[in-house]
Amino acid sequence: MAEFLQFTITGISVGVVYALIGLGFALIWKSSSVANLALGQIVLISAWFNYSMLVDAGLPPFLGLPLVIVFAIFLGWVIERVALRPLITQPILSLIAVTLGIGYFLEGLITFIWPLSTAGLGEAAFFPKSAINIGPAVISQEYLWIIGICLLVFILLTLFFQYHKMGIAMRATADDQMAVQACGIPVTRVFSTSWMFACVVAAIGGVLISSIGSISHGLVDTGLKAFSVVILGGLDSFIGAIIAGPVIGLAESYGGGYLTRYLWAGVRDIIPFVIIIIVMVIKPYGLFGEKRIERI
Amino acid sequence: MSLPCGVRNHTYAEDTAIVRTRTQWVLLLALLVFLFTMPAYLNNYWLGVFNLIGITLIAATGLNILIGYCGQLSIGHAGFIAVGAYTSAIITTRFDMPFLVGLIAGGIMSGVIGIIFGLPSIRVKGFYLAISTIAAQFIIMWVISQWSWTGGQMGMQVPFASIGNFVFKSGQSQFYLIIGITVICIFLAKNLARTRVGRAFIAIRDNDLAAEVMGINLIYYKLLAFFIGCFFAGIAGSLFAHWSLQLTPEQFSFTDSILYVGMIIIGGLGTSVGPIFGVVLIRLLRETLTNNVVPYLEKSLTFLPSGFASGITPMVFGLVIVLFLVLEPRGIAHRWNLFKSSYRLWPFSY
Repeated sequence: MAEFLQFTITGISVGVVYALIGLGFALIWKSSSVANLALGQIVLISAWFNYSMLVDAGLPPFLGLPLVIVFAIFLGWVIERVALRPLITQPILSLIAVTLGIGYFLEGLITFIWPLSTAGLGEAAFFPKSAINIGPAVISQEYLWIIGICLLVFILLTLFFQYHKMGIAMRATADDQMAVQACGIPVTRVFSTSWMFACVVAAIGGVLISSIGSISHGLVDTGLKAFSVVILGGLDSFIGAIIAGPVIGLAESYGGGYLTRYLWAGVRDIIPFVIIIIVMVIKPYGLFGEKRIERI
Repeated sequence: MSLPCGVRNHTYAEDTAIVRTRTQWVLLLALLVFLFTMPAYLNNYWLGVFNLIGITLIAATGLNILIGYCGQLSIGHAGFIAVGAYTSAIITTRFDMPFLVGLIAGGIMSGVIGIIFGLPSIRVKGFYLAISTIAAQFIIMWVISQWSWTGGQMGMQVPFASIGNFVFKSGQSQFYLIIGITVICIFLAKNLARTRVGRAFIAIRDNDLAAEVMGINLIYYKLLAFFIGCFFAGIAGSLFAHWSLQLTPEQFSFTDSILYVGMIIIGGLGTSVGPIFGVVLIRLLRETLTNNVVPYLEKSLTFLPSGFASGITPMVFGLVIVLFLVLEPRGIAHRWNLFKSSYRLWPFSY
């Protein structure tokens, strides 16, 4: 029972981070129908930047973390401006391939600047580490902090999309690009903003997940696993991502906890990908996704 | 098809021939003679480079059929190559079967796995399919790195390729084997694109609904594209296994899958010469970067960080992919066609 509860809490906390990263994907997909496959690398580079700020430069968290946000905004702006803007009317294949190219480039950049293969935040970790008891289970406090922060970000994003002018413009762009352009909304600025937002939420996800584990190349796979969240939840649905995230996290956690002794090691890392294949075959547009009807 | 001035089609056989004029025959034969005499001018190191180019070219040709002709985006190609490599290695080492059996079995096994992971393509396309092929890559590599038959993380040793009593041990003989198979594969791919199957693929790429309305069996042709594309990958994998003699799961990473997509985009999607240009460019770029540029820069600029040597190659490749997509989305093949037509028309550009 204690074990089960422990798996549940860790599963949910990892899952909400996946949901956060997946949200970063859905943001861009919704507004500009670009599939951002460089998400994993963006997560990794933000985690490393955070490491540089907190450990190498020795900044306190209240200074370092805002700098990570600024860095992510800058990254999103540069990517959109340099690589995506010239390709606005191109077929989806080019749009996917260009993000693959960006990912490849970022991967090189990461090895270039941070040649360490793995690192932990160590002393600079900003969540209290002390364990607390929930019923029979002993759980490290960081997991609860992560769940809390993710929920806060979800609420802020929802409020932004509901009430802020830019948020409304972004939803409108997702709905009908032409109509929005005719209304005088600068679509290019909407694209740019959605990339910045996506990078920021991916960066928050990266910082959170690296604060419980370590920073290593595995974070790229974490970014890729976040795709299972958007696939399960439906590509264009925020609610879907928020619900599917914990589901994936729990599946991973229970699978890792209970299946490893029957199957090979590392089964935990494969579960999100197996879920992708299953969802693809059974219900390709996800739980809440909108099925697009095509016309010739 | 643009033909040189004065060349006319008098018969159907003439119309469908790949090589039309005497100049083309001469150039083609010159290229083949050059290819097959290459071991005479190259040392063992460069032969190795060209062996790798040949192997990569087979895989890229398969991927080009899948992405360039049929429009089914696959970002798990390295995984399918791994299936072919390990199948061939297991068949030759654990069952003591001859190399040719391993080669064909590697191709077929890879094709079958490709069909299984291509099943989502019946219902989805574009980004969804890209994600499911990424999932395929990770699932395949997980199985390979854990299964006892494949040697797990330690990998496995593979014998030299052999046909009958002849063992392909020296660099030259391996070169002839690989280049021979590469030429056959490119010829097959070139012809495939002109058959009913190839035209069905192109129709599916351009608009799958319209293709279905015209009477093309979507399920059959999409899965066939996956089978053929992955069959080529399996052949490439088998050759790679018997060429490198050592297989480990790290040799088939996700970044390699991305690079394969990058290569055929740089070369030009949906053209038969595209993969050749892309693969040769990327492989030679890697050789010059790691052997000439990086040591030179590291010697002359002492302040470079230690990650420079391993980080510069992916950075340059990523940059090349992005720049090609932004500046020349139709790839080198398009430039090549422009060059050919301007050569043919010179000095009158009309």
